Amino acid sequence: MALMLQFRNIIFTTLFIVSITSSQSWGDVMKQGMEIFNEKAGCSACHVLKHAGSEGNIGPNLDMSKDSKDVAYVKDMVQNGLGVMPAFGEDGILTPEEVDIVSKYVANVAGK
Amino acid sequence: MPKKQNVNSSRRNFLAGSATVAGAAAAASVMPISIANANHTAADAKGLPSWTSWKKRSALIIHSDKGMETHRDAIGESVITPLRHVYIRNNMPTMSDAQIGNRNNWKLKVEGVKNPKTYTLAQLKQLAQRTEATVLQCSGNGRGFFAHKPRGSQWETGAAANLIWTGCPVSAIVKDCGGVVSGAKFMTSAGADMPKQLDPKKALVERSVPIKAHKDALVAWEVNGVAIPNSHGGPLRMITPGYFGINNVKHIGKLAFTAKESSVKYMKSSYRISPIGKKGSQYPSCWEMPVKSWITSPLKSAKSGNVVVSGVAMGGTRKASSIKVSVDGGKSWKSAKFTGPDMGKFAWRRFVFETKLKPGTYKIVSKASAGGKSQPKLRMENRRGYAHNGWLDHGVDVTVS
Repeated sequence: MALMLQFRNIIFTTLFIVSITSSQSWGDVMKQGMEIFNEKAGCSACHVLKHAGSEGNIGPNLDMSKDSKDVAYVKDMVQNGLGVMPAFGEDGILTPEEVDIVSKYVANVAGK
Repeated sequence: MPKKQNVNSSRRNFLAGSATVAGAAAAASVMPISIANANHTAADAKGLPSWTSWKKRSALIIHSDKGMETHRDAIGESVITPLRHVYIRNNMPTMSDAQIGNRNNWKLKVEGVKNPKTYTLAQLKQLAQRTEATVLQCSGNGRGFFAHKPRGSQWETGAAANLIWTGCPVSAIVKDCGGVVSGAKFMTSAGADMPKQLDPKKALVERSVPIKAHKDALVAWEVNGVAIPNSHGGPLRMITPGYFGINNVKHIGKLAFTAKESSVKYMKSSYRISPIGKKGSQYPSCWEMPVKSWITSPLKSAKSGNVVVSGVAMGGTRKASSIKVSVDGGKSWKSAKFTGPDMGKFAWRRFVFETKLKPGTYKIVSKASAGGKSQPKLRMENRRGYAHNGWLDHGVDVTVS
């Protein structure tokens, strides 16, 4: 019984820590995501995304696209590119972590 | 939704070689997927972008502000597609009136001819004129049926239209310039729409097609009785009858006859029909369109008794010669009738099939033939979901009550 209680406490403690960490890192993800979007990747030069304040008109308006709320779709596009859009991941322009962060950011704020 | 991929050897041969799209599509073999969402309408789809606000919103599925698809039931019953309903697919931003300036002063530079020249649009209008009806179809029309979810807009049937163009025949331009230079094998068209800050190698929309295509091609300034709208590539657009949409270069500024295909990305690596998981310029480019048809009515339901099945059939670069309809998913076929004017081999034909149906559910499919080839049953699997002309995916599940 004591072992079970100890195990339960470990689980609760772990969940709490994960929860706090996740909460903090989500804010970081959004902040970093916008920075990557506007600066390192320069997505803003080609896309409209109201949340990032960007008004590029080469590629699709991300606030209007049906797919830009789908993080897997966005990540695939950022990783592999399409048409004139560079393959930010495949060509090493962004690190895998940065691809992940900017994709989560776009999917979360598109249309808002 | 079955996802088994049973690709036959004919397809492999095609993908490894240089067979035509039409030939390969006829040999395609892979399991179909459900078309339950064929006439999809996004509940959260937003309005039209400002640069093409003259379009009819209710006729279009908005994939993005650069990609708009005609609803399956919105191509109309008059053979020609109403311009307000016609799909939009842009690789570059549409040029504005300010960028274009006086339309009659738009310039077309012609190279790869014995006497290179630059024409204004006004001069082209005076040189020669031809009017032609053609099917304009995005290479990825039907991509939405592929099980592996290729990247790009999930077009089903609506990235296609039948349009009447008026322009100057390219053959007249060639003649006026003293003929093409020796060794020319391709007709290469470049758009003038690339923003200057971009790298032409990566962003210039420049497409090469086999030089034989120039005999049918025209540089057009009018569509369906009006000046070509900017969003459809006005004031001057290359029209390559029978070839996929990308070859019909918008805002054309340069026409050249070249020994080699263009080396830009849109020619070299984009629009290549490669196996899933592979890419490269060794694979066939999206050039000639294969024979294809689809039903436009009924799409979901019908009343029992006399039912009129209708749709459109096209032959690519060959005249659509016949059309058959099956109401039992392809087990038995009957000939349907073409109706409406025959606008030439590059246009589509409207077809009708009158039948009597009792209450129940029906898988209604159509199969067109052209140049001795018929639509294959199954789609040709490929990485980017191009050139789909399989009849099964394009069928409709109809409930008759």
